[in-house]
Amino acid sequence: MVVTARDIMDTDFRTVHPDTTIAEAVTAFKEASAIRRQKVFGLVVTDEGDKLVGMLSLYDIMLLLRPKNIHIWGEMNDIFVAGFIEEACQRTRSIRVGDVMTTDVITISPGTHLLMIVDIMIKRQIRRLPVVEEGKVIGIVYTSTIFYELMEKLAVCN
Amino acid sequence: MSAGNIRSALDGLTVHDAMTKLICYLNWNASIQQAIRHTIKYKVNSVLILDDKGKAIGVVSKTNILGGYYVGLPVTAPLQAVMVVPPIFCHINDSLDSALDVMRQRNVHRLYVIEDQPGRVVGVLAYPDILGMLYRYCHRCDRSTLRMAGSGSATGKLSDYFRVRELMNPAFQVHREDESLLQVMDSISVHHSRTILITGYDDRPQGVVSITDLILAYMHGVSSGDCAKTIMRTPVLFCDYEEPLLLAVKKMIFFDLDSLYVCKDEPSNIVGIVTLADVARVRSGSCRACKLSRIDLND
Repeated sequence: MVVTARDIMDTDFRTVHPDTTIAEAVTAFKEASAIRRQKVFGLVVTDEGDKLVGMLSLYDIMLLLRPKNIHIWGEMNDIFVAGFIEEACQRTRSIRVGDVMTTDVITISPGTHLLMIVDIMIKRQIRRLPVVEEGKVIGIVYTSTIFYELMEKLAVCN
Repeated sequence: MSAGNIRSALDGLTVHDAMTKLICYLNWNASIQQAIRHTIKYKVNSVLILDDKGKAIGVVSKTNILGGYYVGLPVTAPLQAVMVVPPIFCHINDSLDSALDVMRQRNVHRLYVIEDQPGRVVGVLAYPDILGMLYRYCHRCDRSTLRMAGSGSATGKLSDYFRVRELMNPAFQVHREDESLLQVMDSISVHHSRTILITGYDDRPQGVVSITDLILAYMHGVSSGDCAKTIMRTPVLFCDYEEPLLLAVKKMIFFDLDSLYVCKDEPSNIVGIVTLADVARVRSGSCRACKLSRIDLND
């Protein structure tokens, strides 16, 4: 039996709008994790017409939190540390998702074969792939899902 | 750069010692919008532009992006419309002295570092990178007043540090909150400023508009005819005229800023601006032990 993206994609997922703030996106991350019952590190960004416009990852938010002059700060072991993290969070909260999301998103179609998905994830070092049909995101395929799908098949082989 | 001033501090140091390997780049077909995203996300002032073969062919800085906003280019326009060519390169084995000379002569704050292949960039050298390296040297220096302060030496008093007033620039640009973003952009362009102080009707400081705020306004579709008040950041962050420079640097690091306004006697009396680039010119600005070896860029 051919296993394609349609068979293994998660169809219950959370999306955010480009005008959403990072603070609101963090809430969306928590909701997405609750839906999936495991921690989610990437969200699909869609516009008013549900069209895919980008992806927001945890890495994108971590880049914002990192002070731009961290290399100087790293040398200043006498800097006042109290409140440093809170200040970094405060200035990150109001930034819009659309200002930092990744727009160069690789997508797959519902008919993309499982091993093709594995190939894309390895080559492009991607942990999640949006499944797009007629311009709309209908699901997400996660590395972890693929891994456990293959584990099942490997176990049967034994 | 006056040779007598700097040789002792930077002798033997190469570009390799101070450069960063994090290179922010885009293909020349990318949009202005993508360049704005890169500058915000990676907290850089410019993006290197590559051709389809991966060769570095140009640079787009926040100032270049601002030019697009000023003339009304759509934010979806290709980067070629605002790109500056060619990038200015230095070699990884060049002395830091000569690289700083090039930065001064070409009036740029950043050089792209190449190694063997022309056009293949392996790193970036910018003022903050140099400042980071100088801090490292200062903290390891036997004569550092910081070290002496740590050991309880009497010479480690705050009075041994440079003061904000010694480095601040008394020239800064001010606009009223009801003036347009176009007027603000005019000032930035004419005076090569990075930030503009915004005042209220009573001439008291109300906020700040930086180049970053302006390019974000560009991306968000804010009209360049709108008033400065719509995008200004509040409150105005400042340091005191008499404050040790080291404390001002720490404040800039803490608030993730490149500059701070300087007030005298009271917060509403802004008398200048101090930037991290200014500090880099006086080594790390942390102590006077290396006063003779300060970098003097005279720009």
